[in-house]
Amino acid sequence: MNKSRLVRVSVDVGGTFTDLQVFDSRAGAVRAWKTPTTADDPSRGLMAGVAEAAERFGFALADVGLLLHGTTIATNAVLERRLPRGALLTTAGFEDVLEITRHVRRELYQLDPDPFPVLVPRDLRFGVPERMRADGTAELPLDEAAVPALVQRLGEARVEAVAVCLLHAYANPAHERRLKALIAEAMPDVPVSLSSEVSPELREYERSSTTVLNALLMPVVRAYLDRLRSRLGEGGFDPAVFLVQSNGGVCGPAVAAEQPARLLLSGPSGGTLAAARIAGLLGRPNLVAVDMGGTSFDVSVVQDGRVSVVTQGEVDRLPVRLPMVEMRTIGSGGGSVASVDSGGRLTVGPRSAGAHPGPVAYGRGGAEPTVTDANLVLNRLDPEYFLGGAMRLDIEAARQAVAARVGDALGLPVERAAQGILTVTNAALGAAVRLSLFEKGLDPRDFALLSFGGAGGLHATEVAAEMGIGEVVFPREPGTLSAYGILFGDIARDFARSRVLPAEHGSVAEITALLGELRAAAEAALESDGVEAAPRRFEAAADMRYRGQAFELLVPWDGAPCTGEAGLEALVARFHAVHKKRFSYSEPDGAVEIVTLRVKAVGLLPKPDDAPPAPAARPALKGHRRVFDGEGWRDLPIWDRDALAPVDSIEGPAIVEEPFATHFIGAGWTARLGAAGALVARRG
Amino acid sequence: MPSLGPIEIEVIRNALTAAAAEMDATVWRTSRSTIVRELLDYSTAVFDADGNNLAQSARIPSHLNSMSHLLRELLERHVDPARWGPEDVVVTNDPYCGGQHLPDIVAFKPVFHDGERLAFVGTLCHHIDVGGLAAGSYAAKAIEIFQEGLRIPPVKLIEDGRRNEGVWAMILQNVRKPDLLAGDLQSQIASLEVGAAALRRLAGRYGAAEMVEAGARILDMSEAAMRSAISRMPDGTYEFEDFLDDDGVDLGEPIRLHVALTVAGDAIAVDLSGCSPQARGPVNATLASSNAAVMFAVMCACDEPFAPNAGCYRPIRTVAPEGTVVNARHPAPVAHRIAATHRLLNAMFGALHQAVPDRIPAAYYGNSYVCTFQTVAEDGRRDVLVEIEIGGSGGHPAKDGVNAFASGMHNNSNIPVEMIESQTPLTITRYGLLPDSAGAGRHRGGLGLVREWRVDSPECFFTANMDRFVHAPYGLAGGLPAAVGRLVLVRDGQESGLPSKADNVPLRKGDRVRLETSGGGGFGDPAMRAAEAVERDLALGYVTRGR
Repeated sequence: MNKSRLVRVSVDVGGTFTDLQVFDSRAGAVRAWKTPTTADDPSRGLMAGVAEAAERFGFALADVGLLLHGTTIATNAVLERRLPRGALLTTAGFEDVLEITRHVRRELYQLDPDPFPVLVPRDLRFGVPERMRADGTAELPLDEAAVPALVQRLGEARVEAVAVCLLHAYANPAHERRLKALIAEAMPDVPVSLSSEVSPELREYERSSTTVLNALLMPVVRAYLDRLRSRLGEGGFDPAVFLVQSNGGVCGPAVAAEQPARLLLSGPSGGTLAAARIAGLLGRPNLVAVDMGGTSFDVSVVQDGRVSVVTQGEVDRLPVRLPMVEMRTIGSGGGSVASVDSGGRLTVGPRSAGAHPGPVAYGRGGAEPTVTDANLVLNRLDPEYFLGGAMRLDIEAARQAVAARVGDALGLPVERAAQGILTVTNAALGAAVRLSLFEKGLDPRDFALLSFGGAGGLHATEVAAEMGIGEVVFPREPGTLSAYGILFGDIARDFARSRVLPAEHGSVAEITALLGELRAAAEAALESDGVEAAPRRFEAAADMRYRGQAFELLVPWDGAPCTGEAGLEALVARFHAVHKKRFSYSEPDGAVEIVTLRVKAVGLLPKPDDAPPAPAARPALKGHRRVFDGEGWRDLPIWDRDALAPVDSIEGPAIVEEPFATHFIGAGWTARLGAAGALVARRG
Repeated sequence: MPSLGPIEIEVIRNALTAAAAEMDATVWRTSRSTIVRELLDYSTAVFDADGNNLAQSARIPSHLNSMSHLLRELLERHVDPARWGPEDVVVTNDPYCGGQHLPDIVAFKPVFHDGERLAFVGTLCHHIDVGGLAAGSYAAKAIEIFQEGLRIPPVKLIEDGRRNEGVWAMILQNVRKPDLLAGDLQSQIASLEVGAAALRRLAGRYGAAEMVEAGARILDMSEAAMRSAISRMPDGTYEFEDFLDDDGVDLGEPIRLHVALTVAGDAIAVDLSGCSPQARGPVNATLASSNAAVMFAVMCACDEPFAPNAGCYRPIRTVAPEGTVVNARHPAPVAHRIAATHRLLNAMFGALHQAVPDRIPAAYYGNSYVCTFQTVAEDGRRDVLVEIEIGGSGGHPAKDGVNAFASGMHNNSNIPVEMIESQTPLTITRYGLLPDSAGAGRHRGGLGLVREWRVDSPECFFTANMDRFVHAPYGLAGGLPAAVGRLVLVRDGQESGLPSKADNVPLRKGDRVRLETSGGGGFGDPAMRAAEAVERDLALGYVTRGR
């Protein structure tokens, strides 16, 4: 990468807008730009955005040395089923594992269930005569004589991608590799994904699901990267390109093309990267980050300055066994619909009016009242200043909908009904935050709440109060925070191998050998990503459990030497401690097993130090507005976020407005500007 | 007396559900055995001070709608409420004290606020083994409950915060996997404290009197929603019957599950007097089990959103004479009670189909395919694998059934092949969908499946508790029944059938056991099935040409 170039750009392509953040080392500041997303080919909008930003902020395209790119291309392809025709090869006798799934149902009382999605239908799943055992020995060698007929069937079926998931391939990938070689010989243009390369971990259904997603996404992501590459070079624009992965790091295009499943669920990565950076800038190592948009509320946790990562996630009910930023999502957003059932119960969400038709106040045909409508009825939102005035809201329509569909049904005046919608919403948001911390044995009182997303600011102080959290952070540009986080991303590569081993001295040699292999693979990966001289960091971890447990805990080695008997003992001691913390008990004398070993390699990209922009030269206090604050109508002060100076002190209840977000500072809270231009509200 | 608005009530209801979810997360994360962790065979719930279920985690229907029954039985007959203190945990697994069968150990703890009992929290876990004739405590040939394992009467396992070490030791001495049982039981107890802490926090926040009022109103709202749905069903009496193949002891004698369901206004009465007398073998159900099936059926049939809790039960009355297979008398064996409840649910749906024909699917596979392998290694080491398999769901008036879909009274996950083979001297030699196992119809049933195990240890004992090897899952509205299931022993290349209910069948190295499960019944005349759908079934191999 060309470090002599001065500008770094991050781009987060969303459903409606493509968000950009630009850091120009000559100006020392980070600046934001927004441009409409071009859904047919997002790289077009991306280029347009970069060109607009270049003109607006005065840099040449040739000055851009680094382009960090968050994309939903993989996720959307899965959600919209724009996927190529793919085949799955399995151990003979196990062709249906993908369709049988883990078969637990989610809706207990539903009599017309939908099947779990199956991305490769039964006539494109083929069994291969072979069998590995759990210890990596071959019980039945791969029957190579059967392969030509198989390849012929793949050809006749005109498949565009092939996934291979053989039993116990995590323990011994030899059969999978041989199959790949034989297929590549016969069909050199068809991409082949091996489970032992994509997700070499125990549990055949989850591994199959991940491998199939990866295979089907290879043609999709390759085509996108080709289009992107063809646009590079225009006007001297030739930066090093990195793509955002689900693990909170970025990777080069070569990795993205081979392992596109790692781009799935990358959406939350940007926001949590930003949270981690803000945690550092503000000196708050424990942050719970909440991102509230139109349809969902996403909770992630930064603990001791680090983003919490899990080893599995899912997209559209399909498991993805790859490391990803830990996120709890509930269907609660500005567009969530409020309704009253025949028992007189008020519910909010999970049904959402989304962006189309959207809240009643949008005037696009929505008839059911939403959370945004409730905020508007209470005058917390300014109908004249939504999206900085770009969109007029119909407050009267919102009032009528809330009155007719909630107020009348509950016998409440319209303000009380709207307030009720917010109270129910805030309690549900609080419960989601509490559960996210609870699962890790964490106490909300040790955390500050980081609020972002278009709809978060109106709810944050009340959700925090619900939880006993005494500090809320409103970062700059809450609507493009994800792009801000991406701007400070590092290259991160994860490698894993499952092998069930007793965590005892006798296993040290095998553990050391496996870690050595993983470390070598990680080193090589960083080389291929072009991080020759950049500083590197390696982190080892193990998935561990007490013998008999069926679920593992991720235990980081965290600095301790991870070799030798002492290293293993340190790891086991840490496992007992993590177990106790998370589950309230441990069994120091219990037998412990290692199931999976992990190495993460991080290639550190240089971090710019950004300075917050100077406040706009206009009065910070814009005026007052009649707002219903839960008790009654009051004149509340309205503050202009962009004009706030460090001397300003905002006493709640008060409203803070900025072009793409509005924040409500509750009674008893006081807000001031903090580091990095963040607004920090404290209670009491 | 406080008076709460609908907003406060919904907020408290959500908080109670969140408390059940926190308890659920605790059990899932901390339990030790695969049966809890991978099969997810457990449930958690929050109750009011009288034992009415207020909120529950969404896990297993057969558990959820029975815990309230059990807790009320305990309070009325077995535990003096005045002497049940805040640091006392009562456990029991006794079917004849309001429970279901011995492997299900239930633990309850009261929650106090300002010296007053405010609520209860409870957890139910299916434990991997509680002793008795057969590993896994599923003795298919038991003829009295004493053979089925250790019976724990309602007892304070924790009293004043201290564990009763005598009881603890007594339990662990009588089970095959004491370390796993101890781990799972500890996780149940830890989860109770998590739930209790959550409720105490709520009481501090909203006030105890408000919590009590909210609890009462939450039950009323669910009752109102149920009554509103029932009142849309046409009045009348609807009858249906279905059969268990046998009880495993008196072979070849089918057992009748008969339902006469009467809709009158906004209430439903279910008369089970036409069911067979209690069986000699362990397929009997206690009232707790049968009620769970009756409630679950009606709750599924309601076309109205409701919060599932004890208020839902109020519009429904069950008549079940003592001494029948749905209300067994002590000391009848009950280990395989899930068989009677699955079949009772099938019969309930058959009756409800006549009342709401656009909502009810044809029969699902209708049993838990439970089997246990107890392997004995060269060095004498014993391992127990409990497997619970499933079949297909029934064809629905609006769509096909789903292949291999956990339906009805249970809701289990499967255990990964790779997990089993890493831990137990068994190899899974086949796991797939079973073509032609579903009933044909305008909307066909979902397919059943085939799973085959091979023994790799010198010795192994196999136990099975299954059904529907003779009486197939029915079709509705002209749809055809599904195929029956079967168990096959493959030894030295020879295949022979195994009965659906078998105890401690000795197996040796190299033997294979193959299970074939039923699909779901079909809905509607098969001749009406769309030609494209037929073509697709053939192309995917769900149905073969011969059929």
